[in-house]
Amino acid sequence: MKKIVKRSIVMLSALLLVTGCGDDEDTPRAAEGQVELDFWTFWGSETRRPIIEKMINDYNESQDEVFVKHTFLPWGDIWTKNLASIAAGNPADIIVNDINSVAQRADNNQVTDLSTYIDDEFMDQFYPNLRETVEVEDGTYAVPFNTDTRVLFYNKTAFEEAGLDPEQPPETWEELEEYAKQLDIKNGDRYEQIGFYPLWGSFGADAWMTNADDGRGFVEDGEVTVNTEKKVEAMEWVAQWRERYGGQTIDALTAEFGSEQANPFINGQVAMWVDVGTFYTQIRDYGDGMDFGVASIPAFDESSDNWSTGGGFVVEIPAGSDHPEEAMDFIEYITGEEAQKYWATENFDNVANIAGSEAALEELEGQEQEVFSFLNDNLAVTRTYPLTIEYPETVTKINPIVDRIMLGELEPGEGLDQAQKSIEQDKR
Amino acid sequence: MTLAKAKWYETKKFRVSFKAWIITFFLLAGSLLVLLPLWWMVSTSLKSPQEIAQYPPTFFPREFHFSNYLEAWQTAPFTRWAMNTLFIATMGMIGSVLVNSLVAYSFAKIRFKGKNILFIIILATMLIPGFVTLVPQYILFSKLGWVNTYLPLIVPAFFGSAFFIFLLRQFMMTIPNELMEAAILDGAGHLQIWWHIMLPLTKPALIAVAIFSFNGSWNDLLGPLLYLNDERMYTLQIGLQTFRGTVQTQWHYLMAMSVTVLLPVIALFFFFQRYFIEGANINSGTKG
Amino acid sequence: MRVNQTGAAGKTIVNEMKSPEEKDHDLSVVKKGRKKMPRGKKENLIGYLFISPWLIGFLGLTLGPMLFSLYASFTNYNITSRMDFIGFSNYKRMFQFDDLFTVSLWNTIYYVAFTVPLTTVGAILIAVLLNQKIKGMSIFRTVFYLPAVLSGVGVYFLWMQMLSPSTGLVNTILAWFGIAGPAWLFDPEWTKPALILMKMWSVGGGMLLYLASLQGVSKQMYEAALLDGANVFHRFFYITLPMITPIIFFDIVTSTIGSFQVFQEAYVMSQSGDGGPANSLLFYNLHMWNNAFELFDMGYASAMAWVLFIIVLILTVFHLYLSKKWVYYEGGDGR
Repeated sequence: MKKIVKRSIVMLSALLLVTGCGDDEDTPRAAEGQVELDFWTFWGSETRRPIIEKMINDYNESQDEVFVKHTFLPWGDIWTKNLASIAAGNPADIIVNDINSVAQRADNNQVTDLSTYIDDEFMDQFYPNLRETVEVEDGTYAVPFNTDTRVLFYNKTAFEEAGLDPEQPPETWEELEEYAKQLDIKNGDRYEQIGFYPLWGSFGADAWMTNADDGRGFVEDGEVTVNTEKKVEAMEWVAQWRERYGGQTIDALTAEFGSEQANPFINGQVAMWVDVGTFYTQIRDYGDGMDFGVASIPAFDESSDNWSTGGGFVVEIPAGSDHPEEAMDFIEYITGEEAQKYWATENFDNVANIAGSEAALEELEGQEQEVFSFLNDNLAVTRTYPLTIEYPETVTKINPIVDRIMLGELEPGEGLDQAQKSIEQDKR
Repeated sequence: MTLAKAKWYETKKFRVSFKAWIITFFLLAGSLLVLLPLWWMVSTSLKSPQEIAQYPPTFFPREFHFSNYLEAWQTAPFTRWAMNTLFIATMGMIGSVLVNSLVAYSFAKIRFKGKNILFIIILATMLIPGFVTLVPQYILFSKLGWVNTYLPLIVPAFFGSAFFIFLLRQFMMTIPNELMEAAILDGAGHLQIWWHIMLPLTKPALIAVAIFSFNGSWNDLLGPLLYLNDERMYTLQIGLQTFRGTVQTQWHYLMAMSVTVLLPVIALFFFFQRYFIEGANINSGTKG
Repeated sequence: MRVNQTGAAGKTIVNEMKSPEEKDHDLSVVKKGRKKMPRGKKENLIGYLFISPWLIGFLGLTLGPMLFSLYASFTNYNITSRMDFIGFSNYKRMFQFDDLFTVSLWNTIYYVAFTVPLTTVGAILIAVLLNQKIKGMSIFRTVFYLPAVLSGVGVYFLWMQMLSPSTGLVNTILAWFGIAGPAWLFDPEWTKPALILMKMWSVGGGMLLYLASLQGVSKQMYEAALLDGANVFHRFFYITLPMITPIIFFDIVTSTIGSFQVFQEAYVMSQSGDGGPANSLLFYNLHMWNNAFELFDMGYASAMAWVLFIIVLILTVFHLYLSKKWVYYEGGDGR
């Protein structure tokens, strides 16, 4: 026994030596008499952290009453901690949260109503569809920070090789299908290049359904609108893609792409790809000078719009924060034109502040400017689909049914009827 | 045909080494199955981001970027985080080994009223999923003023854990009572029996507890991130999460740090496992 | 030496190897099933004193949150603002209206039913192999323990690649034997087997326990058995196995409890934790998690937790009852 204890001690001290002695580069702290604000974000990566921390530092240096302290918390877990800390009465002062569930959090008293601190003029700074998501009844429960929009990226070289005009991306679903067929390259049983598959990238079956249905979501004005004619048609269309390529091919490729490491569009395995705007930075960094184009999501038919979906994040004050007034001052700063311009240019990310977005556009150059300008314009046909309080489970109910439709276990019409019914039943 | 002499494959020497070869063969095959997936981690950790982004993935890195390890370590205060983690895991390990064995001893060898009920209660505490007690637990620690300290991560270990108590009880129940009786006749109390007889005899089990406990706190993500608000107090597992960005994951760094974080636990295991050979062989120790 | 056919074989062997006096002495142990120990108030006191750390921790840190969640299960608790008593509504909803509750319970039972026996047998076999005297054994042991040390999303992404239908390692190996592997994580029929396979890969933890308990099996018993001409299988089934039954029992009980609470694998490997494809990975705890932290319906989640508590408690008590028939404690039954 003694021997073990002895050896353990030796081992532990060895470990301590290996891990080295302390490094204490002191992080700045709040000075005497300053109010310290806790700001929780999930931006801890090497690319994002310096940008958000520069914005915080600028704010800290711009005045001397308040000191904002940034804390990184991992994606997902950050909101678990947020809930626990609100329940315990010692939450952060400012937190970054999902834009689509603001109404839920307002309904459950998790956030502070900001309307006493801000006015219409302040809220006019932001894109209207984002503003809508944070204004619930008479209150304003968060301030939009950034947003995104989905667009079609296409490989110009592949277009040329297939005899397509690289300046003429597909505009309707029909064209998309035609193009895809021409872009497919099959070698025996194996596809060397797939023209297009609607469920890869970041546009799910739900997004194709809303795209077809003139941008109408699954709950509109308190009505469940899941089994509309156009949504059923969209679902039939999506399912037919899987049949065309064969379930096995699709499953195998989906698994390969699921590793998140190699992107099939950048590697030339897929010729057209729907993704969020920031996907451009991946093409820029890993594409090796790839010749690509950006287009809107093809429309359902010639008479419809190119509806896309968007999301994003908001900054908000958790319920029970001790310093809402000071926190609001900081929020006004980081959602203001100057800070937003900085975030947009450094991250190549769409921001919520209209003036900030436009200022960023002017500052960017060359290809970056071109793409960013396109993304900005695309916001006009982009809708966000916030969760509703009456029907919070729409997506959870639709997804498994979509899976079964894709596997051929359910007819699209039948499946969406089921989903409609089950969502209506669960009205809160 | 010689009948008098044993055939070469009948000799004891051959049989022993033949057995060794068979076992080695199975173990090698098994090791391959275990290690192949791990190779992917190591290989990714040595590639450049450009190579990782390529398709099809390469089995061996084309160029070995050992610098990934150093660079990953330097992206954040990992040295500090490693020391924090080491501190938490070591304290937890000490608490686990001492306290659980004491409690387990009582359940295995002392007769007291209500023991069976209490034992069921111990088991029952394992049955309730942690999600639903997470919030009240957080509120409790918050009321105690323990948030943003290491106390919520260490103190519970000193109150014992159902899993380890149950485990050690099982081991102690296999130890013959005669061994204790002699000591009792010599006037030893339970505390002495526990320290001088039980602990040495359950050494392999205690080592297993030590390894599990260390491994558990070393890999714990939710606990530290819930209770720590100050990045300087963070642990390695939270540090690993910094490589997973909202847009892109830095796979080369993530894998390099994952491998690095693995090493201390592996070293600990490698160091401790030798006691499973020397072993506290209860019966040979007492009757042999 | 006779090789007994019953589960009590271990006892027989132990008795036969002891000297006559010892044997008599021991038989009395078997008959009474317990050993005489001084008892009384002092013994009670010492017993409680020894378990007091746990008792204090239980009363101070564990019991409160448990009772809190029990009460919450009868309310519409939403974590941050609401907690009104609503009687048995949550429980009613679970059994009458929530289709996903049944789906998730079924998925979980499927997972438990395969994981528990497979990992138990796997861990014992590996531990026995790793308990031999072979060159490089410490390396082998470390290698087999490695997967148990790994944690976090990296491992799950690794497995997603391993299980890729066309290029993944698993299907590549199956192809060597002429077997066309399934689509694993994309085929609702195969998602759970995929997770079970993954669990099998990391039996290192269980292996460690068995390795520790194998150190308690007496060499003399093996030697005596060898003299009697018992072969490898006899020795395994009539000496090794009975001697490690206390740990097998522990392993079965705890891995049943653990498998019922399977969560993280499913959370990471089904996209964004929705339990797909076709809800085949919607495990009990995942459904509970979604209710608690996505829909903020902690009252309902708590009710789910307590239903699971009851289910697993019944199973555990059943295990405890059965254990009297097959678990052999060399030190008597300890009471």
